Amino acid sequence: MISYTVGRILQTLLVLLVISFIAFLLVATLGDPLGLLLPPEASLADRQELIARLGLDQPLLARFLHFLGGMMQGDFGLSYRTQEGVGAMIAARLPATIELAFASLLVTLFVGVPLGILCGVRPNAAISRVVMLVSIAGITLPNFVVGVLLIAIFSVQLGWFPSFGRGQTVDLGGWTTGLLTLSGWQAVILPAITLAAFQVTFVIRMLRTQLLEVGQSEHIRFARARGLSERRVWFSYAMRNALLPTITMLALQLGNVIAFSVVTEGVFAWPGLGSLFLQSVQSADIPVIAIYLIFVGAVFMIINLIVELSYPLLDPRLRRGRA
Amino acid sequence: MTAPLLEVRDLSVTLARGGDELPVLDKVSFDIAPGEVLGVVGESGAGKSMAGVAIIDLLVPPLRRSGGTITLGGERLDLLTPRQMRRVRGKRIGFVFQDPMTSLNPVLTIGRQLTDTMRRHLPLSRNEARERAIAWLTRTGLPNPARVFAAAPHELSGGQRQRVVIALALCAEPDLVIADEPTTALDVSVQAHMLQLLRDLHEETGTAMMLITHDLGVIAKMADRVAVFYAGRLIETARTEMLIARPLHPYTAGLMQATPALDAAGVMRVKAIPGSMPGLGATPPGCAFHPRCNRSRDLCRQVTPPLADAGGHAAACHFPLRQEVA
Amino acid sequence: MKSFLEALRGQPGPIAATAFILLLVLYAFTVPLFTADPFSMAGMSILDAFTPPLWMDGGQTAMPLGADDQGRNLLTAMAYGLRTSIMVGVISVVIGLVLGGALGLISGFVGGRTDALIMRLADVQLAYPALLLAMVIDAIATAVLGRGRSNEMAIAIVIVSIGIAFWVQYARTIRSSVMIERNQEYVAAARVTGRSNTAILVKHILPNVMAPVLVIATINLGIAIITEATLSFLGIGIPATYPSLGSLIRNGNAYLQSGEWWISLWPCLVLVVLVVAVNVLGDHLRDHFNPKIRGRS
Repeated sequence: MISYTVGRILQTLLVLLVISFIAFLLVATLGDPLGLLLPPEASLADRQELIARLGLDQPLLARFLHFLGGMMQGDFGLSYRTQEGVGAMIAARLPATIELAFASLLVTLFVGVPLGILCGVRPNAAISRVVMLVSIAGITLPNFVVGVLLIAIFSVQLGWFPSFGRGQTVDLGGWTTGLLTLSGWQAVILPAITLAAFQVTFVIRMLRTQLLEVGQSEHIRFARARGLSERRVWFSYAMRNALLPTITMLALQLGNVIAFSVVTEGVFAWPGLGSLFLQSVQSADIPVIAIYLIFVGAVFMIINLIVELSYPLLDPRLRRGRA
Repeated sequence: MTAPLLEVRDLSVTLARGGDELPVLDKVSFDIAPGEVLGVVGESGAGKSMAGVAIIDLLVPPLRRSGGTITLGGERLDLLTPRQMRRVRGKRIGFVFQDPMTSLNPVLTIGRQLTDTMRRHLPLSRNEARERAIAWLTRTGLPNPARVFAAAPHELSGGQRQRVVIALALCAEPDLVIADEPTTALDVSVQAHMLQLLRDLHEETGTAMMLITHDLGVIAKMADRVAVFYAGRLIETARTEMLIARPLHPYTAGLMQATPALDAAGVMRVKAIPGSMPGLGATPPGCAFHPRCNRSRDLCRQVTPPLADAGGHAAACHFPLRQEVA
Repeated sequence: MKSFLEALRGQPGPIAATAFILLLVLYAFTVPLFTADPFSMAGMSILDAFTPPLWMDGGQTAMPLGADDQGRNLLTAMAYGLRTSIMVGVISVVIGLVLGGALGLISGFVGGRTDALIMRLADVQLAYPALLLAMVIDAIATAVLGRGRSNEMAIAIVIVSIGIAFWVQYARTIRSSVMIERNQEYVAAARVTGRSNTAILVKHILPNVMAPVLVIATINLGIAIITEATLSFLGIGIPATYPSLGSLIRNGNAYLQSGEWWISLWPCLVLVVLVVAVNVLGDHLRDHFNPKIRGRS
């Protein structure tokens, strides 16, 4: 078990290294830092000096190691667009994105999971049919269209929620939060629903399929034959079996969620990482794009790793070194 | 004779298919006395398993119970609400499933499944339930019961799992255990042990048993009385030694000549009798067995023979075998 | 084609979807034939700016769906936009197919290190969603080609970005098919009798991969159209001065707040109908050609 865990962590680190190298290649081969950082009237000596200082005269591998070393020390390079440190730019935007992700996770848990259970336990009930019908919209509607429609209805027509921004934020020692003010909560609702639309439908459909399948299994019949209550049969006997594939599939969808966060932040002008990425793409700000890719790759890999390593807690079949 | 524990009268089960209701069980009646072992025998598709499942009301649509009464200890089970019925299942009727590989929840420990079941029906604390669970695992002959308690199903062998399934069926001390082909899915080497275990537990606890099997050999060893099913009907019932010594129905006689074996499709069939049992909805008029019977006459093709009782030995045949002997 | 028609027989949903697709294609490619391009000076009339749909106060029969901020007739503008979106979608799917097909064939036939390299590249790419990749490729193109780009250049970049983002699935499908066929005895026999790889390819491998590739292509067409619309909506893809469903929605989005909802919602509706129809058709084809996965959501 321990050697397996270590192996998986090393594997993840290796993939991250490959991603970092690709990202580094982007920075190294595209764009012209000298042209951006030097004033037009700079002398050749200034130029040479900057080349040496940035290490551009070194061989590629040495520059990559320098790039990695820099990241370790929190030096993520400079943005071509704003000349700011990329690390500081990301740090400033991170709270907004994390809060949006958190809010959309809440929506997923409190809307997707109960509806998924409902549709799996009572597949023929009228409500379940309606939920399944509506969920088709969540799968097929493009993410930005969901956002535009929500704005059109709840922000323009009804005027309940703002259509852009985070509302009032409070600075908690470097972490700006919108979750301490009323306007902050109002502002997060529409983006959170937009971002969650896909996950909610996904969870509903996965849970339903899984519960339908588990519900017909022999061990569930046996549990019923032993007189266990329907509550216990569904919630602790069937759910346990249905949860694992659902979580796995959801973790695999994390990449899509990250892409959708870019779109959602774009639609609602949400000042997070996604907006930063968008602005960087629009202005071909390669250093920021590169770091963003590494960051997103790392988040994706690490969450998948955590999910995978926590399987044994949910499924004793995967527990090793016993019996 | 003591009052029966279980009385089944005219139990019918149908399968809905394309607007039709095809009979799966056709007015089947039988009793089980307290502490008695009733062996139910027949080929695959004869309806014997359906009878067991229908008694605990766990038929899954498109199957449904379409008629008849079921009385357990004087109480009409067929009139109970689903909630009341859940109190009967496990507590008063235990059910042993056929395939131990699929009938245990793969993600819960053996101990959890046992204690959940016991605490559902018996007023036990967590610790008492745990102690009792381990005692049951010991009784079913599992080595190192404390370890099995904490184990997940995949860590046990098929035979060990079936012992767990038996413990699960018996742990709330039911009056009646329905065992549906409890040994069919097991290795031949394990089957004898499992029968011995069922027998021992039956004798220790005094519980009645409905043992559903295709194997007359198992019946001969285990059952006090036998009920033979054919094409959804009960065609012969008698005390085991009577039935084996002198079967009345030609089908039973054929059954005894050759214990059914698995055919290529994995279905139990009696090879000694020509032809095969009619499929669902294809039951011929009259006696369902007449196309395969070398004694059949016009009467057999037209009139369904009733189950005629003669001195505790009942058979549904117009021309039973004994008449020739007599 | 015959098997495609067979797949539709007696299926009202997919038949309706196909009909919708044909109707939209007809609309997109015939309207521009007899109207002035609303994105040229001749096509807009600034006096008609913000004309609401016909049934609202101030609606005009000439503009049943209303007009946008530049006085473009939305019914006409959407045909132009739809035409761009369909073309971008189809061409990018073809690019992905050709690229993925070529890499898949090389991977399958050559094997060894080349195969390993291509497949690892595919793995790394799969860690990122296609939409994100298309954005990155777009940014790289901007960095290489410079910022001042013409409309045609922007469209070409979008097409290539989406195409590249989708090659993996084709490559994997075709590779596995090649791997299976390569080891069949008749392929060895064909080689012995002196047939070229191309002949083997055309005769044995192509017929096997046609169905799955068609299914993937249909499903990807829906995703490609959404990707184009999303990119253009976010201001990365096709510029607002050129019509596509995404750029029309982006343009109209600015006026959503002030109550001129029709400018963005009509193109939204057209996009949704198109994508839903393509998806319904794609899902049906997938189920039809691969019965094993039928019934799964």
